[in-house]
Amino acid sequence: MIRLFFNLEWKQFSRASYFQKGIAIKILLFLAAIYFGGAAIMLGVGLFFIAKKIKPDLDPIILVNNFLIYWFLFDIVIRFFLQQLPVMNIKPLMTIPIKRNTVIHYLLGKTALSFFNCIALFIFLPFSIVLLVQGYAVVNVFCWFLSIIILTFCVNFINFLINKNNTFFYSIAGVLFVFLGLETYGFFKISEPIGKAFNMLYQQPYLVIIPLLFLFLLYKKNYSDIRKGFYLDGAISKKADRVKSLDLNWVNRFGSVAVFLKNDIRLILRNARPKQVLLMSGLFLFYGLFFYTQSAYKNMPAFLAFASMFVTGGFLMTFGQLVPSWDSEYYKLLMSQNIPYSKYLESKWYLMVVAVFVSFILSIPYLYFGWDIFGMIAAGALFNIGLNSFITLFGGALNRVPIELNVKAKAFSNTNGFNPTQMLIALPKLVLPMLLFYVPYKIINFQAGLIVLALSGVLGIVFRNFFLSKIEGVYQKGKYKTIAAFAEKK
Amino acid sequence: MIVTTNLSKKYNENLVLSIEHLEIPKGQSFGLVGNNGAGKTTYFSLLLDLIQPTTGFINNNGVSVNASEDWKPFTSAFIDESFLIGYLTAEEYFYFIGELRGQSKADVDALVAQFEDFFHGEILGQKKYLRDLSKGNQKKAGIVAALIGNPEVVILDEPFANLDPTTQIRLKEIIKDLAEAKGVTVLISSHDLLHVTDVCERIVVLEKGEVVKDLATSAATLKELETHFSN
Repeated sequence: MIRLFFNLEWKQFSRASYFQKGIAIKILLFLAAIYFGGAAIMLGVGLFFIAKKIKPDLDPIILVNNFLIYWFLFDIVIRFFLQQLPVMNIKPLMTIPIKRNTVIHYLLGKTALSFFNCIALFIFLPFSIVLLVQGYAVVNVFCWFLSIIILTFCVNFINFLINKNNTFFYSIAGVLFVFLGLETYGFFKISEPIGKAFNMLYQQPYLVIIPLLFLFLLYKKNYSDIRKGFYLDGAISKKADRVKSLDLNWVNRFGSVAVFLKNDIRLILRNARPKQVLLMSGLFLFYGLFFYTQSAYKNMPAFLAFASMFVTGGFLMTFGQLVPSWDSEYYKLLMSQNIPYSKYLESKWYLMVVAVFVSFILSIPYLYFGWDIFGMIAAGALFNIGLNSFITLFGGALNRVPIELNVKAKAFSNTNGFNPTQMLIALPKLVLPMLLFYVPYKIINFQAGLIVLALSGVLGIVFRNFFLSKIEGVYQKGKYKTIAAFAEKK
Repeated sequence: MIVTTNLSKKYNENLVLSIEHLEIPKGQSFGLVGNNGAGKTTYFSLLLDLIQPTTGFINNNGVSVNASEDWKPFTSAFIDESFLIGYLTAEEYFYFIGELRGQSKADVDALVAQFEDFFHGEILGQKKYLRDLSKGNQKKAGIVAALIGNPEVVILDEPFANLDPTTQIRLKEIIKDLAEAKGVTVLISSHDLLHVTDVCERIVVLEKGEVVKDLATSAATLKELETHFSN
């Protein structure tokens, strides 16, 4: 039985879509895995010495214990976004003569092999080894390490319990931020009492029974939850969304592109994946904070130009690079209808322009950093509207990865739009604004840089129809390829 | 009139469709039958220019479909769920198709109203997105959407599959009415021999991509088809 399950797992793993990609992406994924794995191990090894250096008078294990609470809280937050209990997979197993209990144990058991659990192992195993080498008591270190791993599994199962409910998540994220705030400003250090508890775990090895008990209870709870919902209309059913009716008649004033624009607005508001993109692009607004606050970048205006472009370009780039893919689920319909490509593209362009405009309005608080910075953001916005939009749409046209609209992107399956052409296309997006600003800045002055960057955008707007018709050509040429690629099952 | 000439489609040396000559006159109800892999959907996809022919071409009302897009205004189709936009309600979807085909909201409402019987109260005003409807109800919405905008050629792939018996009977009436009263050329494919013989004036049997039978429907047709497929 177990052997059969393992066989299934192996096939699911080795035949997953991200392994079916080109060799270049395989290598990249492999390198990324090595990098992150290696980084975690290095951190694990170095943790002891780093702790010693920061607080020489404190035992490193005590310092680490003090901050473990943040590690675990952070772990929950990350998992909430990226890790989901794969309940849907049990549907084919429901009618086969296998005991339900076995299936559920298998389901819960296999989450133990999750990547997220490995991170903890990668960090705390080397750390524990270093502790042993440094002469710490074997039993204590071993039990402490065991407790940490058990608690990691607890986080694993807590996540599945709260995953269905956003309120839980926001309270945990809220608690994390409040604690962080209180800690930094020294009002109340949560790390102290919790740290004491972890120290107890270290000093009294037999206390490992507490996390173990905790884990047992959580497992039981998860088990009974799934057991209760082990029906087609239970835990594994997809929830039908409630229809939110939208009055979009005001869009009609956009004339011939209105049909598509209305559709795009519904696309974004009613599907999980585009909503995620919308959220992501909101975060881009804060990109400037990293750059404008660092004195190191003060004398590197080219980097500032780059950052300013990002402030208003978040939605444009994240949404735009997947432009025909958003419509991949019903691409055949579009291709058999009487649709002028130019109108279709123009509607997407309008959407991106509106997004840049809104981001620009929202970036007004950056005035705090002075007119120079704000001028850069304005010039960057013009560049986004006039040039970046077309470069992004062009890159999208070469991208033929189907998207499942109502499925959230998961960690490590999010290689959509991740191909060599995409990366080549991304290059001018990043380099062009820097060059356009830097060259005139070096030759003449700061203002000249701004003007050239802004003018490049204006030029793009003037030649809009030329660019759109060029991109239309790419669409027309790739029509059959695109249809075939979008029809492929994910 | 749809004229197919020397049409073939190969996937890596694998010939999936080869039709030397096939004429479908205007206003005919035309049925395509054949086992899985016979080339029915391939033929329809070629008709809609969704795949490229290896040789030959299809001429739809004087327009060569892989050379010009002028066939689109008078041709419509429902092949599979990829012709539906999952995040729209049925009404929104109908209006969207209507706008693409130059129909006002009132036009669409008037057309859709004729199909109230066919919908059986399960499509309109449902407060559900198309993706959350059952397979049969999705099909109903897709078929009616294909009738928006007075098309002259309507292509339906397996329209009877997944429909409940009541709806199947109503769909037969709709298809007959389209061809006889409105002069619309209707092309359907089906695995159900009884349905096709009921509905179509002419039935073509495909086998491994080739036309092996071309029958004008008569009382004897069903028997003949059954004998053909039982061997």
